[in-house]
Amino acid sequence: MKASEYLEELADGTVLDRAAAGSGSEVLSSSQRVGVVIIAAVLVVFAPIADATSPFWLNILTRILIFGLLAVSLDFIFGYAGLLSFGHAAMYGTGGYAAAWLISEVTTNALVVLPLSIVVGCGVAAFIGWFSVRARGIYFAMLTLAFAQVFYVVILTDLPAQVLGVETITGADDGLFGIARYGVFGIELGGGLPYFYLTFGLVLASFAVLVRVANSPFGRVLQAIRENEDRVEFIGYNVQRYKLIAFTISGGFAGLAGGLYVPFQSVASPGLLNWTVSGELIVMLLLGGLGTFWGPILGAGVVIFLEEQLAGFATWEIILGTVFVVVVIFAPRGIAGSLETLASDPRAAVERTKEALSSYRESIKR
Amino acid sequence: MSAHTNHSTTEQTSRQPILETEGLTKKFGTLTAVNNVSLTVSPDTISSIIGPNGAGKTTLFNLFTGAFGPTRGEIRFKGKDIAGTSPHSIVRQGIVRSYQITNFFDELTALENIRLAAQAPYTGFRARDFTKHYTAVDQAMEDAHRILERIELDHVAEQTASSLSYGQRRHLEIGISLASDPDLLLMDEPTAGMSPEETNEAVELVEEIAADTTLIIIEHDMEIVMDISDQINVMNDGELLASGTADEIRNDERVQKAYLGTGDE
Repeated sequence: MKASEYLEELADGTVLDRAAAGSGSEVLSSSQRVGVVIIAAVLVVFAPIADATSPFWLNILTRILIFGLLAVSLDFIFGYAGLLSFGHAAMYGTGGYAAAWLISEVTTNALVVLPLSIVVGCGVAAFIGWFSVRARGIYFAMLTLAFAQVFYVVILTDLPAQVLGVETITGADDGLFGIARYGVFGIELGGGLPYFYLTFGLVLASFAVLVRVANSPFGRVLQAIRENEDRVEFIGYNVQRYKLIAFTISGGFAGLAGGLYVPFQSVASPGLLNWTVSGELIVMLLLGGLGTFWGPILGAGVVIFLEEQLAGFATWEIILGTVFVVVVIFAPRGIAGSLETLASDPRAAVERTKEALSSYRESIKR
Repeated sequence: MSAHTNHSTTEQTSRQPILETEGLTKKFGTLTAVNNVSLTVSPDTISSIIGPNGAGKTTLFNLFTGAFGPTRGEIRFKGKDIAGTSPHSIVRQGIVRSYQITNFFDELTALENIRLAAQAPYTGFRARDFTKHYTAVDQAMEDAHRILERIELDHVAEQTASSLSYGQRRHLEIGISLASDPDLLLMDEPTAGMSPEETNEAVELVEEIAADTTLIIIEHDMEIVMDISDQINVMNDGELLASGTADEIRNDERVQKAYLGTGDE
């Protein structure tokens, strides 16, 4: 399949229809909830062991959690409400920059900084959303991408400092560095383990909130918008407002992910806002499984794991690309979708692989 | 139906029209889809809109529901001008339409399709609309089950809409419109593509709905139109050619010449 065709399918919802097949009940079934609790418990126990034996893995785990949060925030708007945002890097990056600036200039108190990261993420999303939610499909994607690139350039050229006539605010292409980690009421969260627990707690809480909102009366309308936007308006819902609010909520969590990532890396660089971040996010979503909420975290795990393990090879992207192609062809509903079919009906999963293979051969012959 | 006609004619004179248009016009570029239409719909009646393809019937529906704003003219619903109002608030005011092609949420269950429509009046953007579980909107759930029973789909409530049979999907389509609790229901060809048996069922459902709802129906089956309508509006080339009871329309010369006389309906 050509890249452009795939993009079209992404935007017109064919991919979403595939993802949605078999859904219609609520987000995160009770058995999946149990799975999340078990994995969370394992992580809580595993963390101190990893910290003692190989802190490297704790570091990777923290990164996976942060990107997992970012991926779930995108899944909320893309996988669940059907709006392909290609500009999530803007909310992520500005949330991160807000944290960097506040930590350097005001306070390292997480209870002050992180809520403000969320507010900044919401604000940027509301701004971008205001102009973008009237468009649909690929046009929505392109508008969000364009706005995100505007924010990227604003940060890269340190436009705020030029406007205000001060020397520097965003640090231009150098970014802001030497960013300290958080403390809460005098307790330092600088070490690998405390920072992991901070991240873990916030990601888990965000996940719970997003799942709850997805299953709320508001969230069910978003699902209907994904299925048939036109009809939703004609059963009495203000579709534009629902889309704008959903995009804003999603942006808040992206901002929180930025606020967690920047002190973790101690650097805020313009690269946070670059479109490649948004692109990588979409790869994580499609790998993991759209609209499942837990799949994208898995996708984030796979991408970051591969990135770390294969960083030695100059061509690790080729391997990631191959994995991506294989998943898109053989497991159109992502890793999460495959796991679901495997759990419910192992034989059907094998059948489906054959089917996917033959339909792929057909499409090549054409 | 005669019973229905009697019921309406006694009240028609004394009551304010539920829907009234004046000089309603819609142009798409150089094409005038609806031209200077002034019509009146009395409450608790069944009105039909008939006319050849391209006569402007569906455009008229789109104007009533707010899908398009009119180029000129007024649409008064319960005495209030609704021209230029957004579709979702027109639904809340009580005008709802059902579609000829089934147009709903394929991958959601039949129950959820209807529940979503029923949920609209009970939810908004208050904090609890984000934090409550959707099943906790009791009234919406009750309404949905009641309507599923009424359209005889309660046995397939948990099936996805896309897996329903053609007849069931047509019923679901009507059910979704009913869930919005309309005062005025616009139905676009409720019997299109149905077998004679399904058609009879659909007509029964239409008459049952008419017991407590004003209906405007676009329909091609003249037998049904003549049978159930209290008032028939004939459209041609975007204009309202004639308006009256079945007998008046049958005997109208202009209608015979332009439409019925051709004998192709």
